[in-house]
This record gives sequence, C-alpha cells and structure tokens, in this order.
Amino acid sequence: MRFQANRDVLSEAVSFTVKLLPQRTTLPILSGVLISTTDDGISLSAFDYEVSAQTQISAAVEEPGRVLVSGRLLAEIASKLPNAPVSFATDDNRIVVTCGSASFTLLSMPVEEYPTLPQIEGESGLVPADEFSEAVAQVAVAASRDDVTPVITGVQLEISQNRLSLVATDRYRVAVREIDWDGSVGRSEPSTALIPARTLQEIGKTFGHNGNIQVTLVAKDDRELIAFTAEKKTVTSLLIKGNFPPVKRLFPETVENYAVINTADLIEATRRVSLVLEREAALRFTFNVDGLTLEAIGSEQAQASESVEALVTGDDTVVSLKPQFLLDGLSAVHSEFVRISFTKTDNPNKPGPVLVTSQTSKEQAGSDSYRYLLQPNLLLR
Amino acid sequence: MGRGDGRDRQVTVGPVDDAGATKLHVDMDAFYAAVELLDRPELRGRPAIVGHASGRSVVSSATYEARRAGVRSAMPVSQALRLCPSAVVLEPHFDKYALYSRQVLDILGDVTPLVEQVSIDEAFLDVAGSVRLLGSPSTIGAAIRRRVLSETGLVCSVGVAGTKFMAKLASTTAKPDGMLVVPVADTLTFLHPLPIGALWGVGPSTQETLHRYGLRTVGDVASTPLDVLRRWVGDASGVKLHELANGIDTRQVETVTREKSIGHEQTFEHDLTDLVELRRELLRLSTQVAARLRKHGLAARTVALKLRFVDFRTISRSRTLGEPTNVGKRIFEEVSELLEAALPQGGAVRLIGVRTEQLMPDGDGSPLLWDPDEDWRDAEHAIDKVAARFGGGLVTPAALVGRAPRRVGDTLNAKVITEREGRSDG
Repeated sequence: MRFQANRDVLSEAVSFTVKLLPQRTTLPILSGVLISTTDDGISLSAFDYEVSAQTQISAAVEEPGRVLVSGRLLAEIASKLPNAPVSFATDDNRIVVTCGSASFTLLSMPVEEYPTLPQIEGESGLVPADEFSEAVAQVAVAASRDDVTPVITGVQLEISQNRLSLVATDRYRVAVREIDWDGSVGRSEPSTALIPARTLQEIGKTFGHNGNIQVTLVAKDDRELIAFTAEKKTVTSLLIKGNFPPVKRLFPETVENYAVINTADLIEATRRVSLVLEREAALRFTFNVDGLTLEAIGSEQAQASESVEALVTGDDTVVSLKPQFLLDGLSAVHSEFVRISFTKTDNPNKPGPVLVTSQTSKEQAGSDSYRYLLQPNLLLR
Repeated sequence: MGRGDGRDRQVTVGPVDDAGATKLHVDMDAFYAAVELLDRPELRGRPAIVGHASGRSVVSSATYEARRAGVRSAMPVSQALRLCPSAVVLEPHFDKYALYSRQVLDILGDVTPLVEQVSIDEAFLDVAGSVRLLGSPSTIGAAIRRRVLSETGLVCSVGVAGTKFMAKLASTTAKPDGMLVVPVADTLTFLHPLPIGALWGVGPSTQETLHRYGLRTVGDVASTPLDVLRRWVGDASGVKLHELANGIDTRQVETVTREKSIGHEQTFEHDLTDLVELRRELLRLSTQVAARLRKHGLAARTVALKLRFVDFRTISRSRTLGEPTNVGKRIFEEVSELLEAALPQGGAVRLIGVRTEQLMPDGDGSPLLWDPDEDWRDAEHAIDKVAARFGGGLVTPAALVGRAPRRVGDTLNAKVITEREGRSDG
C-alpha cells in the first residue's frame, strides 16, 4: 500500500476515528485504526464491537492495500507532523510514514484478525445537526453514571412522526428535549433507541456543525444498533438492551404554582451560596411575594444566604434542592429567564418534583421543547 | 493458632509490668456449655456438647473435656459423637445465654463505659480511665474474673495488653479460666514466635501464599519488607499484616458497634433440590431479614445469597442495587435471580442464606422521582405495625402460610452477623 494525503485532513480524520474508542481494550487489535484505500482516497475506521467510527478522505493512492496500525500512536504522530504532505508506504510488516524530513516506522497489526465493521444501509430519518448537538448536551447530563443500573446510563431516543425526543434520567431528575425529525426518507413507524450517554455525547460534539445528520436504526441477528452519518463520517453504537422507565408521565400536565427568575442571576447566586455547603448537601429555596431567598446551612463555621428577584405566581413555597442538580437544569435551559414550577404530592415523605422550563421574558413562557424535572429533598428543620 | 482445647495455655502469675496495657479482652469459657452445666451440675468434669441430638445440627459449644477429644465448634454433632462417644448432648437455650451475657456486660459496665461487645460471649474494654480508681489493668482483670464467677457461676478468661489485637491473643492463650498480661515492652517477644495464622485477616489462602514464600511465624512476616509483602498479598492486606506483625493496632474500643451486615440462614434436615421449595425458603429468609433491617432503621445496598451444597462446597453470590432497600419483596427478587443463576453449578442444597450488606440509615440519601419498591414498602410497614401490636407471624406472604418455621438450626443460624464473623464460643 502506498498513498499521499494532506496533513490536516489526515490528522482530523485519525483523531475522529480514535476518539470514540475506549482508553483500554481487552483485545490489543481493537486499539488499531484500519486504513484501506478506496477509488478516490482512503477510509479510516475503528471498531471495538460496541462502537464503530468510519470516515473517508481524499488521497493520492499509488498502490492499493489495507493496514492496521495503533490508533493512539498514529493520532499523536498525525497531530504533530510538520506542515507538509504525508506519505504512507508498507514495507513487509512495517508502515513507513514520512512528512517533510520526519520519518516514522510503525509496526502493522494483523489485518486478517480485525473484525468486520457493521454495514449500514438505508436511513431512518434526518435531524438538524446543530439542534441535535444542543439537545444531546442538554439531556445527557441527567443520565445515570452508575453501571449498577445500565438502562438509565443511556439516553433514550423516541421517534414519532416529525418529532424526535431525547430523554435521560438518574432517578433524581429527568431531562427531555424535543427536536425536528424528518422521517420522510425512511420508515414512518414510531421507534425508540437507547444509546450509552457517553457515546452520544461524543457523537453530539463530533457532528455539531451545520447540515443534517442521517440517522439509521438497524436490527440484525439480535443485535440492535444505531448509526449517525454526516460529512463522510459514520458512527455506530450498539443499543442498550432493556426497557427505559416511562419517565415522561412524571411530568405534570398543568402547573398553577411557579416562579420566574433571571437565569444568570439564579445560577450565580446558587454557585455563591452553595460554597459553604458540605458535599451532597442541599440548598433551601424560599419563594414568596418578596422574591426568592437561597439559604445554605453549611457546617458549624459557615452559613450563607442571598436574595434574588423572582416573580411568584400562586402559593409561597419552600423547597430543598441539590445545587448541582439545579445548576445542570439552569445551564441547559438556554433562555434569559427560567420558570420553576412546583407540584404537590400526597406523600409526606416525598415533596413534589420541581419543573424547570424556559421563559423568554418575565411574562412570556418560552418553547417547552426542553423540560427538566427535579426531585427535591425532604425539608429539614 | 492454639488448638482451642487449653493445652497451649499460658497464664500470668505474680506481679507483672502492666503499665500502658489498658486494653482488656474478656472471653467467656465454653459459654453455652458452661451455662447449661449450671443447671446440670452432675455433668461437671464430663464431656458435654451443646447442639441438637438429631438431624444435621452442628456443635454450638463444647466443654473442655469434649474439646480434648477433638470436638470443635461448628462440627456436625454426628462427627463430634464419633470423636467423643461419651459426650452428653444438651439442647441449646438461647434465651438463657442472652440473659447471662447481659449480666456479664453489666459487670463490665461497672468497670468502664468503654465496653465493646464483640459477640454474646466476648468483649473489649479500655480501662485507661479506670486505673486511678480501680487499680492497675491486671488488678482490674482479676477483679472481673472474680466477680463474674461469684455472680454468675461462670468462668471467663482475660487478656491484658496494649492493643485490642494483642489482648485477644492473650485471652485466647490464657484459656480456660486464666488471665494473661502481655507487657507492652514484651509485645514483640510474645508475638513473633506465633504461627502466622494468629494474625487477624490471615485466612487459609493468605497463609498458603506466605508459606510458599517460606514464612512460618509472625516474626517472619515482621522481618519481610513491606514492599515485598504488598506484592505477595496485595496492597491493603500487605500493610495490615505488616502493622499487626509489628504489634501495631490502632483500633480503638468502640462502644457502639455498627452492624456491617444482617443475614439469616437455614440448614435443611433433608437436602433440597426443588427450585420452588428453595425459593419459598428464600422468601421466608428475605422477609425476616427485611423486617430486621427496618427494626434497626437500616437499609442495604448489597444483597447476597449463600448456598452450601451436599458436598459442603459453599458459594456466595452478591448483587449491588441501584438504591438501598429494606423491602423483603425486593430482597427476595434479587436473591431469587442469584439463585437461578447459581443453582445449575450446584446440585442438592444443604444450607441457604440471605445476607444484606453496605448498610446505611433508612431514608439517608435523596428521595427518588420514582421508587420501584414503594407499594411493597407501604405493605411491609403495615405488617411491622401489626406485628408490633399483636405479635409476629400473623401476616406473612401467602406462599408461607401454614408452614411451620423450620426447626433444625433455625434459631441457631438466625443471628445478626456482625463485622466480627467467625467468632467461636471458646
């Protein structure tokens, strides 16, 4: 095999392919990047049986072939090469990479043993890349990181007609975002897919540019996977098996009791007051006609409080919330003002959940495409 | 270490330097057997065993006469009787043991409030604060032995040393009916000739590893560089062994012992293979364990299943939950799944047990948006209330209705297993 490629294009392609691979793999061969020549260039791919990444770039192919080379090493090298065309050539079981006056000799791994990447055909629908990327960032933060409960370590995608909703929960909060879905190209029946949150976050970052992302759901021999394709890049991920809990029904249909606050003011006050809190402790939020008061009872040495302007509709309310959980919702709402709605329960041991939604001005509710539901702690004292 | 029959006995006679040796370990001698003999004085000096005469029962306790014939705690009664055919088998009376245990604890409580009860028949004391009032540690130890004998008729052994670990070694060495003081200055002289099995935390496999490297005595461990020990037995164990072998044990006498696990187990009279029956037994044990968790205001994050097969092979399988629970139904579901996964490798089951670990105060931690156990929790709380008013067992899962509690080993094994498992009634 022998080819020549542009340094920046190659470096970007290698870094994309390697990024989704886990830091450590059980099989050394899976840490490799497979490079194979095509009609008008080369394709680079990586696969660890869970996730695959594949991309094509143009290159001047002088001799066709296929090699497997250590991904991380190649990514490191590609990112530091001098500004000159890069040429690859195989020499027995070695790969010689030359760029300007720099030259590297890498060991090639046995291509024959490398698994076949999942083949993706057709497409289920299209999503706008920027919206999808924003939605993933807003929702994935609420996914559980505890592998004891694998189902909720994923983000659930729910497709129906022309809407795609993304849902994640760790059972303390639920985040939901709805975006446009163009299903005219594919099947029309409603479907769901549960994707590991970490993988989806990487996908969101990778495809966060303009244009559309093509989404394909594949069910083949008991293995279900999802593929995302844009700009000659494709990422596939196995789906998490199991039933995602029906969390959407936890959201209240209507709320009469809510407060509207400037989002940035509330974020800053929450960060300040929680400075004195011990880990895992909650802040006390008192909403009444005078506005909102945040109070932190830290340890014996430190306490803090702060008032923030708030427009309260309905009853005065006191809730106890973990600051980080609230901040995750406030940072994702992406609007100048935020509406915090209160719900009631019959259970004296469990306060009603609090709903965070966007608000374009003090008076005007925003779109409800993003909703964040948070379970308050019990009020102490 | 020791054979547990008193033949390696060493005791302190005459004055000894006990300055700084303020940790005491008080251990009742052959406790259950000794209590039984209070009512059967004619059996004194004869070998006696506490356990059930029939079925699969194991020895709960044995007099020193029986121990000299090779009888040990936890040995099947049938085997004990082969070793010592003249032994009398006495039915256990656990309520009596609890009563005497309480009486002994009250005596210890007069010496110092710093009493850590390890099990029904042993306790640690820190007497540093009592020395001025009551005399030196060895004086206090001797007084405890006298008072226990005169007020209960029972004998105990006392170890006096600078650390809990050494005090426990000392009382074991003084058994039966003795006291051994290990002066702080003599700690290493006493410790180093002992076999490595004497160190806490050295089980058969660690022992085998160390033997393979040629280590026999505690002194051998002490003179092995820490780095080397860590490589052989792992980081945590290496550090612990190194400290213990050098006489270092910083653990304090803790008056409130936090339970690390709560469990129940059941030995069957006839081996069980039927999954339906095994599951029913699991339901019963899970219900009991959960009630016990709730009674202590605790919830558990980990549930474990223990199985012992006919060939005495014992396996344990555990599972960590997303959130702590004390709901019997939930515990049952989790251990049932463990059972179904574990059974194929087994065969007939002789013993089954349910244990819960990683205990924390109930309701610690934040409330969840939804709780899979909610309905059952309400139901089981209601059952607790019925039991508190009208007595236990009136409301039980339908699958258990009309089934008398199992007899063999039932009370025997239904104990709260504290962090100090594997105690022996010595």
